[in-house]
Amino acid sequence: MSTDQFDSALDLLRRLPPHSTTANLNRICALAPDLTEELLSSVDQPLEIRRCKKTGRDYLLCDYNRDGDSWRSPWSNEFEPPLEEGEEGAKPSERVRRMEVQMGEAVDVYRELYYEGGVSSVYFWDLDDGFAGVVLLKKTTPSGKSEGGWDSIHVFESIDRARTSHYKLTSTVILRLSTAGEALGEMDLSGNMTRQIEQDMPVQDDSSHIVNVGKLVEDMELKMRNLLQEVYFGKAKDVVGDLRSIPPLTEANREKATHQEMINSMKR
Amino acid sequence: MTSKNVAAVSAFIEGAPPGELADVVNDIKALTPEDRNILESARPAFKKYNEEQLTTVKLPGSSNSVLISQYNALDNERYYDVESQSSFAFDHVTQKASDVRSHVLESQHKDLITSLTRPLTTHAREHYPTSTHAIFPVPSSPSTLAILLTSSKYSPSNFWNGRLRTIYLYNASTSTLTGTLKCDVHYYEDGNVRLTTKKEVAETSIGGGGAAGEVIRVIARIEKAWQEELNRGFGRLSEGEFKSLRRQLPVTRQKVEWEKVGSYRAGKEIGGGRR
Repeated sequence: MSTDQFDSALDLLRRLPPHSTTANLNRICALAPDLTEELLSSVDQPLEIRRCKKTGRDYLLCDYNRDGDSWRSPWSNEFEPPLEEGEEGAKPSERVRRMEVQMGEAVDVYRELYYEGGVSSVYFWDLDDGFAGVVLLKKTTPSGKSEGGWDSIHVFESIDRARTSHYKLTSTVILRLSTAGEALGEMDLSGNMTRQIEQDMPVQDDSSHIVNVGKLVEDMELKMRNLLQEVYFGKAKDVVGDLRSIPPLTEANREKATHQEMINSMKR
Repeated sequence: MTSKNVAAVSAFIEGAPPGELADVVNDIKALTPEDRNILESARPAFKKYNEEQLTTVKLPGSSNSVLISQYNALDNERYYDVESQSSFAFDHVTQKASDVRSHVLESQHKDLITSLTRPLTTHAREHYPTSTHAIFPVPSSPSTLAILLTSSKYSPSNFWNGRLRTIYLYNASTSTLTGTLKCDVHYYEDGNVRLTTKKEVAETSIGGGGAAGEVIRVIARIEKAWQEELNRGFGRLSEGEFKSLRRQLPVTRQKVEWEKVGSYRAGKEIGGGRR
């Protein structure tokens, strides 16, 4: 596998329709099988939902709670379907699992406040000099004339320092919006974006991590939501206006010329 | 070369954003270094892409653009242009025209095409800063004309490209019009955002005995109403769908107090929550 090929695969996915990322990812992996592992771990796709057999609560699937064809439920801490006899599967240490449970409950509250529905999951794992984790949120609105989907994937690392931790957060939002109507026809506005941030924050005990990661995720989602709405949607709308002008261009140009004349006469 | 690979490459070509086909082709080449024929095998997908996207091309020695569509296709990947009275070979993979020959349109609608082109040109100039349009008789339907317009703007240095296409079929014997309006915008600065829209125009009768000017006036009305509706669509998505996925702030208008988040649940401060 060459870096060139990997970069080309990412470039291709950045150009092709964002709502077909999963299908195109599978096509690329079929064309260049050597890229499969690295692509699957670096390209974010819409999350899948499973129901925990033990607790009946829904959880989200990702690479970080996967072992082969099984996934660890954050609610039961058990793999589903069960791993083969004698296999343990990767689980966090007792201390990190305790934080994972706390963060999971906190994010569940956060989800209810911001998403008013949907599913969230939190997975933590141990690092030599700290711990890492992923916060997942997913919401879809019922299919019909208008439908939508939001997936956010926040991967972070927390590296221990004296009385502080160094956090590194990489966040991706995948958004799908569509609407249809008699006068409008069909309209689909979809996209994904990724942002990163690094920050040192004070730590007193393990509960500080819940507060710190929570704040980082909340601020990042606020920023990304605003970017999507203002910058990305705003840009798409502007480009449509660049392609076709509703007022006749001669009229618009005449106004521009008059305006220019006024400016010129004021300069004199 | 398996047919599955051709299908994959064809899907990439079909999904290429406006003005980015060459970039997509470069990526395909890099992903399939040992397969030199893969683009050639996917030629039908290129042809479909160019005809559906109303790809424009400058003829050798001319500064005017002409467009590619299923309606002006001749045999052997040749196409014709009415205005310059010429036909040309078009390479669908490289999007280059060559071998220009004289081609005079033989059609019972020749005069109608001329009289429709004049107001269509004015209409295009008034509403499309950069566009190419053409009118062709539809080979499979003797009484029908295809009225085509494409408007593209590319700004890869600012990470956006866009294209708007209008395709009308005008039946001269019944004086009725149908059509399809499509818009495709890609914005990819630190992300990948795509807007695609499609509006089918239901059969519309043209008054005034189907006078050429009236046909274009109806087209202008259809387009204006659609574009205004599209602008309202942006508002609906952003105020409706987007908001119902994720609020900007909780109902309390306050950010989460993470220090107290454990007691939220204990105190049941969030009403109506699931468990």
